[in-house]
Amino acid sequence: MIKGFDLGPILTGEYAALMLQGALLTLKLMLFAWLLAMSLAFLLVVVRLTHNKLAEHLVAAYVAYHRNVPTLVQLMLWYFGVPTLLPESTQLWLADFSTEFIFAVIALGLCQAAYFAEDLRAGLRAIPDGQTEASRALGMGYVRSMRYVILPQGVRNSLPSLINHTVLLFKNTSLAMAIGVVELTYATREVENYTFRTFESYLVATVGYLAVSLVLMGIGALIARRFDLARAR
Amino acid sequence: MKPMITFSNIDKWYGEYRALTTINAEISKGEVVVVCGPSGSGKSTLIRTVNRLEAIQGGQILFEGHDIHGTDANVNRLRSRIGFVFQSFNLFPHLSVLDNVVLSPTKVKGIKGSAAKKQAMELLDRVGMAHKAGAYPGQLSGGQQQRVAIARALAMEPPVMLFDEPTSALDPEMVGEVLSVMRGLAKEGMTMMCVTHEMNFAREVADTIWFMDAGQILEKATPEVFFSEPSHPRAQRFISDLRSH
Repeated sequence: MIKGFDLGPILTGEYAALMLQGALLTLKLMLFAWLLAMSLAFLLVVVRLTHNKLAEHLVAAYVAYHRNVPTLVQLMLWYFGVPTLLPESTQLWLADFSTEFIFAVIALGLCQAAYFAEDLRAGLRAIPDGQTEASRALGMGYVRSMRYVILPQGVRNSLPSLINHTVLLFKNTSLAMAIGVVELTYATREVENYTFRTFESYLVATVGYLAVSLVLMGIGALIARRFDLARAR
Repeated sequence: MKPMITFSNIDKWYGEYRALTTINAEISKGEVVVVCGPSGSGKSTLIRTVNRLEAIQGGQILFEGHDIHGTDANVNRLRSRIGFVFQSFNLFPHLSVLDNVVLSPTKVKGIKGSAAKKQAMELLDRVGMAHKAGAYPGQLSGGQQQRVAIARALAMEPPVMLFDEPTSALDPEMVGEVLSVMRGLAKEGMTMMCVTHEMNFAREVADTIWFMDAGQILEKATPEVFFSEPSHPRAQRFISDLRSH
């Protein structure tokens, strides 16, 4: 039995390196999933704005699936389930790669896109029709009106929920351990197994997650304050 | 001389409701037309059909010879030549006053930033708003916002300006500053179509007054004739109601 509180074994040597690698992979996973989610969210919003009934139903179904099925199940479906639908030769080819990272990016990104798309849609709906009319009356077409007038305001409106959901995405990266991605939570459990410093291991991970989450929220607050200055009354 | 804008047999329906009934009218270059009439008479609907913010179900609107509502009309190009001022200003709240004015010339017309800024400052100066170039719309009063909105529309150098009740959303003490900008434009020979309830402005600035009720133009007359001896009974009643206040 190991007695006493000692962070030493975790913050030095090979275990520290393992934790750091895990943290870096967490950030990488978060970054790629975020980029995928945000691009896809814009696409979903634009599709929904076409007011095509079929397209609207497809987007609604997409959002319903990703918001109502546990993210963990979605991850496992992608990593364990989807490859089995591929031809055998492709499966064998895939087996040569470590696909857990890429499937984690896909699953987390697709899931978060549903949240981001709803955030953006709510932000866009809050913009008065007069803004569209004014931009169109100045000779802007749909694309210019969206790009210079509507989307900038929509993104500002949805900023608070986009930040919240970015933090949610960051926390959800820990689920990727279930399909073998050695991110921070996975690494923490490894370190805990080797060192038996259970409390210390999870404490370090906790501080790490907390620090990044707070930084994300801080960045969000900074951006929001810049926008508020621009709209001071 | 060919008219700048021609309305021929315009019909507009909202479902079963007929908002405009066989409108026929013309606006010549340099003419100032004031459209007046009771609320719900179709004034705003009519002015909004000119740059296709409202669709029409029948008839044709020609602007400089182009069929605005035609299927092959280049709407964006036509709109960029028609200045439009809204009742509710509709400035872009996320952009500074200067950027509001500069946006369309740079992004639609492709004018260089520095040239567009110079032009924008001149326009802002003309509407008395140059000192607020760096402010945001939310920091301005209604009258100031509307003057910026006029500068924004003028920045596209349109040959015609449309005003849809430009002073109706303003506190009384701010109406004057906006009307004086409009008066200046009229004096410089700008072609204008204004929907307004400001009868003194109409009397003083209009070349022609169109009186509308129930989706029709009942009378077209000079202000002198319209305010002293209107011929249509509905217009007579409108004028006598004005006098009794």
